[in-house]
Amino acid sequence: MAEQPITQAQIDAVYPKVAETMADALGADLEDIKPKVSLIEGLDAESIDFLDMVFRLERAFKIKIPRGKIVENARGDLPEEEFEQKGIVTERGLVQLREYLSEVPAERFKTPLKAAEIPRLFTPETFCKLVIRAQREAPAPA
Amino acid sequence: MPSADHFAAYSFVDRIDRFEPGRVATARFAVPREVARFPACLVAEAVGQLAAWVSMDRIDFRGRPVAALASQTRILGDARPGDVLELAVTVDQCDDEAVAYGGSAHAHGAPLVELVDCLGPMLPVAEFDAPEELRARLAVLRGPGAVPGRFRGVPSPAVTMLERVAGVSLRARLDVPASAAFFNDHFPRRPVFPATLLLDTQIAHTLLLARDAAWAAGRTVTAAKVTHVKMRSFIHPGQALDLALDVAVPVDGVAKATMQARCDARVVAGARLEMEVTDA
Repeated sequence: MAEQPITQAQIDAVYPKVAETMADALGADLEDIKPKVSLIEGLDAESIDFLDMVFRLERAFKIKIPRGKIVENARGDLPEEEFEQKGIVTERGLVQLREYLSEVPAERFKTPLKAAEIPRLFTPETFCKLVIRAQREAPAPA
Repeated sequence: MPSADHFAAYSFVDRIDRFEPGRVATARFAVPREVARFPACLVAEAVGQLAAWVSMDRIDFRGRPVAALASQTRILGDARPGDVLELAVTVDQCDDEAVAYGGSAHAHGAPLVELVDCLGPMLPVAEFDAPEELRARLAVLRGPGAVPGRFRGVPSPAVTMLERVAGVSLRARLDVPASAAFFNDHFPRRPVFPATLLLDTQIAHTLLLARDAAWAAGRTVTAAKVTHVKMRSFIHPGQALDLALDVAVPVDGVAKATMQARCDARVVAGARLEMEVTDA
């Protein structure tokens, strides 16, 4: 089933808390957190920071974000062998990835793109969308 | 042949009293009377090790957690040689990726440390230790318990002052020993300098630094809380770390400090310390 589109208004609604959480996790100033800045290249985030951010966002929003599944989610319904081959994202994979990471400026999708380098594309807005998806998947309160 | 230091030189769980798989555990550790000190960081390490046993068992010893993130560790009291630590952990989440947990340690019914929102990534256990030995050890801990008194203390690492502004900042070099008994336990297949030893050293020097401040005259400065602990990479035997400790003027009886360790200019560990400042 196709995912319901995420609107800018939904992103704007969660962004302030996401940005604050990221600034705290990265030890960065809040004003340095911009929606489309690369977390790795622009804010020096490392893999432990991604774990930290997911952990903090879970607590801040009272949601569950499957750890280590961001790239897997980005693949969507595309089988792994059609998404990447020998560690390189395929043409079909790139189409899927551009759609999933629609917040990432097109020029940042270098080709060939190594699957291991997908996290380099992530931005604070990517995490806003993760939060929104997790909120949608959360069971309704009893 | 396993080293005599394994499960001894840096292991702080003697016997597990209660074990709800994947969820909750309580345990004991007797601090040997012979050790000179058993600082709060080692008490926190004991709580973390109990969480490690629960989490390794949870994923059938495919992975083991390593110290990475600790949102808050409250230091509530001192453990003394001869004390029996009562350890408790609650695992909030655990899978092959990471374990999230909290816990506490008491002695004689009084609280010593409380760990809130800790997270450790799970790494392949076989890189660090023999899975079958860990499995057998957990059976001992859950059964008759380990022989107490195995821990013999840990040497303080060498710290060389580089620059010091009394009460404000310190730059120093910490030389991680190239060899030490605790490396045979932490970990047998891949020696790693324990994050808790780094923190203990940083806290000790930050307290000394803060006590030299003009505002500290006639007042008592004690470590109350460690927050924002983040270990970014493993610290190996023989590495040299650049320590940066910075203390701020107290506000409402609390002096905050940042503690950072770099290796080759890269930040490898960071934490914040809150110190309670009271009139003596």
